[in-house]
Amino acid sequence: MARYIDPHIHLVSRTTDDYEAMQKAGIVATIEPAFWLGQPRTEVGSFKDYFSTLVGWERFRASQFGIVHYCTMGLNSKEANNIPLAEQVMELLPLYVGKEGVVAIGEIGYDDQTEAEDRFYREQLELAKEVDLPVLIHTPHRDKKKGTYRSMDVAEEHGMDPGWIIVDHNNEETVKEVLDRGYWAGFTIYPHTKMGSERMVEIVKQYGPERIIVNSAADWGISDPLAVPKTADLMRKMGIPEEHVQLVTYKNALAAFSLSGQMHEDDWLKAPPIDQTKKMGGNSVLRGGQVPRVEGPSDRVEN
Amino acid sequence: MIMKQNQEYSLFLLGLLENSAEQQSLDWLEQKVSKIKDASSPTGFFLAFSQASRFFSKDPLKLSDAKKNKAVQLVEGFDPSHWNLLQSARTYLLLHLNLEQEDWLEAVNQLFETGDLYEQAALYAALPLLPFQEELLPRAIDGCRTNMTLVFDAIALNNPFPRRNFPELNWNQLVLKAIFMQRPLYQIQGLEERRNRALAEIASDFAHERWAAGRNVMPELWRLVVPFMNDQYLADLRQVLSSTDSLEQEGGALALYQSDFAPAKALLADFPDLLTQVESGEITWEKIGIEFQNSRV
Repeated sequence: MARYIDPHIHLVSRTTDDYEAMQKAGIVATIEPAFWLGQPRTEVGSFKDYFSTLVGWERFRASQFGIVHYCTMGLNSKEANNIPLAEQVMELLPLYVGKEGVVAIGEIGYDDQTEAEDRFYREQLELAKEVDLPVLIHTPHRDKKKGTYRSMDVAEEHGMDPGWIIVDHNNEETVKEVLDRGYWAGFTIYPHTKMGSERMVEIVKQYGPERIIVNSAADWGISDPLAVPKTADLMRKMGIPEEHVQLVTYKNALAAFSLSGQMHEDDWLKAPPIDQTKKMGGNSVLRGGQVPRVEGPSDRVEN
Repeated sequence: MIMKQNQEYSLFLLGLLENSAEQQSLDWLEQKVSKIKDASSPTGFFLAFSQASRFFSKDPLKLSDAKKNKAVQLVEGFDPSHWNLLQSARTYLLLHLNLEQEDWLEAVNQLFETGDLYEQAALYAALPLLPFQEELLPRAIDGCRTNMTLVFDAIALNNPFPRRNFPELNWNQLVLKAIFMQRPLYQIQGLEERRNRALAEIASDFAHERWAAGRNVMPELWRLVVPFMNDQYLADLRQVLSSTDSLEQEGGALALYQSDFAPAKALLADFPDLLTQVESGEITWEKIGIEFQNSRV
């Protein structure tokens, strides 16, 4: 069966049904970029607990379903606009960026393209250089083209290597420039609106598979945690070669984020047997191919 | 006094790491330690604690019998045969955090609160080697509320800290949670010695809840009722012995055998095959625990 990586998904807001479906569809690894929570936080402690969840509970929760969970750490552009709070978050970040499984600084960049957003974007580019991590850039949903170009201009101003930057949420208007300048180009498949799977197929046909990465960015809004495997299926149906499908739904994400030294194919291909004993009792999902126990998944520890 | 103790423990850990880790990793560790021990702020320590994962693997330590004996001499119940290289390196760093009590506790608490899965597990497993045990007790008790098995195991299993420090109420909660999460009870240090009447009652209630829900009961549970055997628990064990699961029967038989309650012996006599197996020493709690983990969880 084909293997997939979803390199942008906010799993804290997804259900266990999603995890089960993702695992069944062939998703072996996920990257959860630190983001906002749908409404702005008002206390730095909320950031601390959120960051701890990304490297703790959510990672554990994913492992129960046989999915390896990585994350990126950063102050998102929306919340960068609360400057006193943002300054406290910047003090907190060094505690997290060096942790195992943190594969990039992100998602950072611009939202409304304010002065405050610019300041904290730049500070985090410097942080990324200091700790040798790639950067995941969130491009704005409004005034997108200008915001995307500006993100790249500023990154270059800070001496960043485009090969270490994933520019996310691209569309037909931004992709050419992003690829021409040597960046990785992320595409988020949004059901109903914006970037659908059909448009994605056309983009891969036109630009080829190199440095293109498909993700779901599934969160608490209308979104589809199976966007990556579904897009892969559509690509196959539309005659895109298997090798190209694998590049944009698995290999490119692995190549880009493994620059961090924190992500290896062996993490899921050779999951250490010790982890098998660390699973919660009776979770038959973890035991692909095994006959489920009589008690089945209902025997999971109640939370 | 504390510094001397830390030194002894860290020398021992270094010895274990030297056996198993790459020279380059050991050099990194020494370099970090030399910075940490004279630093007035814990920032460098935090970073090193995280980044140790880039230099040390989660492979288990290679341990000679002599080292195992030495470990127990250092701290009663300390059993690094369950430790990996990474957590040993992290504990080594922790033992070099040279701050006054208040600052030390603040730094270590921050570490607990911001730790990833493996960092938290390392911290809880390191508890018996750390200074300020009394001050760390609330942290350990709070840690037992986790549902992350890896973290829970680090406190509850093969760790002398709870046995030595937990008040009865918290001890009982730990054991009950281990049952609830179906963890191997035989790996809880002091399980037998700290059995108590309240815990036996809790265990029996738990078994009844499971039966009411049509679910099985982990056989190791019956070890908890042995010293308090009475008619009520005898009725429980009668039900256990009528189970179709041979492992449950073995647990029930062993509990009856170990009890001094005369009617228990009489009940066991009705199951001559089980009695023979128990008498021959073939059935032990450890054997039951291992088999349960391997085949039922």
